[in-house]
Amino acid sequence: MRLTSHKVRMAILAISLAFSAPVLWGVVNGYYVGKNITYIVATNAGGGYDAYARLIGGHLEQKLNAEHVIIRNVPGAGHYIGANTLARSRPDGLTIGTFNAGLIYGQLTGNRALRFDLRNLGWIGKAAGEPRAMVVSARCAIKTIDDLIAAEEPVAFSGAGIGSASYADTRLLSVALGLNIKIIPGYQGTESEMAMMRGEICGQIGSQSSSQGFVDAGYGSYILTIGGDMVGIPNAMDYAGDERARQIVQLISNMAELGRISAAPPNTPQEQLEALRTAYRSALEDPALLETASRMGRPIEPAYGDDVRQLVVGALDQTPESIQIITRALNADAL
Amino acid sequence: MEISGILNALITVVGSPTHVLLLLIAVPVGMFFGAIPGLGGKLGIVLAIPFVFGMDPLAGAIFLVAMHSVVHTGGAIPSILFGVPGTGPDAATVVDGLPMTRSGQAGRAIGAALGASGVGGVIGGLFLLAIMPLLRPVVLAFGPAEFFLLALFGITFIAMLAGDSLIKGLLVGLFGLMMAFVNLDPQTGAQRYTFDFLFLWDGIDIITAVLAIFAIPEMIALGVAGGSIAEVRQRASYGLQGVLKGIRDVFRHWGLTIRTSVIGAFIGMIPGLGGEAASWICYGHAVQSSKTPDRFGKGAVEGVIAPETANNSKEGGSLLPTLFFGVPGSSGMAILLGAFVMLGIQPGPSLALTGMDIVWTLIWALMIANILAVLMFFAVAPSFSYLSYVRGSLLIPFVFTLTYLGSYLSHRAWENLVLLTVLGTLGYLMKRHHWPRPPFVIGLILGPIVEDSFHKATALWGPLFILRPGAMALMALIIISFGIYFWRARNKKLKKAQNAV
Repeated sequence: MRLTSHKVRMAILAISLAFSAPVLWGVVNGYYVGKNITYIVATNAGGGYDAYARLIGGHLEQKLNAEHVIIRNVPGAGHYIGANTLARSRPDGLTIGTFNAGLIYGQLTGNRALRFDLRNLGWIGKAAGEPRAMVVSARCAIKTIDDLIAAEEPVAFSGAGIGSASYADTRLLSVALGLNIKIIPGYQGTESEMAMMRGEICGQIGSQSSSQGFVDAGYGSYILTIGGDMVGIPNAMDYAGDERARQIVQLISNMAELGRISAAPPNTPQEQLEALRTAYRSALEDPALLETASRMGRPIEPAYGDDVRQLVVGALDQTPESIQIITRALNADAL
Repeated sequence: MEISGILNALITVVGSPTHVLLLLIAVPVGMFFGAIPGLGGKLGIVLAIPFVFGMDPLAGAIFLVAMHSVVHTGGAIPSILFGVPGTGPDAATVVDGLPMTRSGQAGRAIGAALGASGVGGVIGGLFLLAIMPLLRPVVLAFGPAEFFLLALFGITFIAMLAGDSLIKGLLVGLFGLMMAFVNLDPQTGAQRYTFDFLFLWDGIDIITAVLAIFAIPEMIALGVAGGSIAEVRQRASYGLQGVLKGIRDVFRHWGLTIRTSVIGAFIGMIPGLGGEAASWICYGHAVQSSKTPDRFGKGAVEGVIAPETANNSKEGGSLLPTLFFGVPGSSGMAILLGAFVMLGIQPGPSLALTGMDIVWTLIWALMIANILAVLMFFAVAPSFSYLSYVRGSLLIPFVFTLTYLGSYLSHRAWENLVLLTVLGTLGYLMKRHHWPRPPFVIGLILGPIVEDSFHKATALWGPLFILRPGAMALMALIIISFGIYFWRARNKKLKKAQNAV
């Protein structure tokens, strides 16, 4: 038989494919073996995003059999620099990142700092997602949400920077419920609580758990929850007077759900994305991680893959009228 | 105050071989991170976190606090020897430290920095113990109005540090203030002179600015002049003698040492003012309280003692709001806070009720680490001072690399390297034409605080915020400060006129 006959060639092809199939399979499944994964965190070291990344990153390393998961802090410009860096990274499955979902507001209002479309990211999952709650200082005359609604003089509330989640949530809620709130921006992190203790700020809107210590110590009390269920505390949706108000409250609620999101750059190959999603889910279901997170006081309320993608796409899917309301609400001149 | 609790805590620290071993490792590590420009205590803690994760909480906390509290001790070394600030707050040490090195007194400067750091750290710890009952009312007394005037008070030091020409000093200071407003307007979100560069949204990086204004000009000048940093030849054994002399200087100027330690600890205690402010305010105080202020900027040892005591004592001060309010006293403390939570220690108001033993233990760890740093470094300090005799052609490339690395490490933005070059050239021109440089840094550091607190204060109370009691007290301080300055300037003029006659 001549070696160049058609049958022989087909036989050789079949045999080599049969041998290479396990190798190919090994290549996809063992893709991360011996490789380093970079986990971009859009804040400085030491904060919440950094803590979640380090916690999850350590477990991802095991689940993927990767050499290391390296945390790379890329802070600045309210998470925009880190997010842009992630979007620009090589889509080879070896870079992932985490940043504030508040950038969704940025995309809705056409913020030029955002250099990509959030819909195009390879969404891996989210680790937390807490309802927002309104807290007032014990030194403030406002004791209930009804007092706030009835207030004739503007009531001082704190916000972080212009465009931050706390600022956006406070502005949007005051538009939705017709609250006479004067936001004083520039209070980072726990500075706001100190200001409330001093009595210069009446209240703030933030995640439920971040104010728990403050409330437990008797310095303040919860008066409203947005998107959550707190015993004895009224829900913002009950005070939404019309469809527009309900839409806004729902948006705040949806945004609050998207806590500690993680994603891969656009055009990350599907196999690698699936591997990352699987490992991420496995990490967040690992009892060891849950125990450590609980010890650190970091709530874990996960969602994965396409569920997160749908939440993001849904939040970005607003009518032109809604976008106008949001832009006007977030416009600092409205202060 | 429970004496038994305090003593038990001391025994916890020194009585356990594990804790002692951790202290012995933490101290050189902390000093190393301080000595390499751009690294700093923050990165040290971040890198240490994986190691302490899983350790006994108290042991881990002792390690981190000890490491963080000696960072500025290490940071003084490159500041004095090369004029390259090891950390932001060490920039004030350069102003008199480098001239001392040039006149062959590197050993003395290092000794003074070492001694001052040690004493400052210990006094900072003692300050913590003393002020604890008063903590809440004192910390809560400082709001936006008081911050505004405190920062303004700091800016008045521009006049004090202007050297021979008040006009030049004010111009440079105001230029620094102008540069401080290159960022995203915190009130409106508008971009101010950022030219669409995202890296400028948070403002000009302080580390880059400090390295550019102090380190680059020195190296260029050295290259132009030739030779080594030390312009005076000295006997080989001078190293150790110099260091001892420097340490004695700290005790000779005991009044200044104690005052600046207390001021530093106090400033550290008020979250929001920042570490750089403490060292410059204390430096300014040293100038103001000296009978011969003209020596400053030319190699006055008090110019090294004052900022170095403040650098270390502020760490003790900033531990207070971090532990008792859960409000970090500085950015380094913010990371330490995260680390404490990771270890299972819950800072906050409840700590005072249930966790005082941890607090006492950490205070002791802080003080002992500072003492250990002095002892450990004392052994090698003399040899470091010989570096000042190394030829410029060998030193300059090394220092330039360190400077550029430091700038990149601090913010991971390559654009900062361009900024470093531009500002460095400006700094050299300032040096060549005898324009004072410290006022630029002061304007840059205090500008954002002035702006932010001014806006908050007017938003909360209107322009009449100036009539609040705390604000009035600080206003009086500013007026007195200016008064002393002009009175001295007048006396100098009169003396000059008399001598001419």
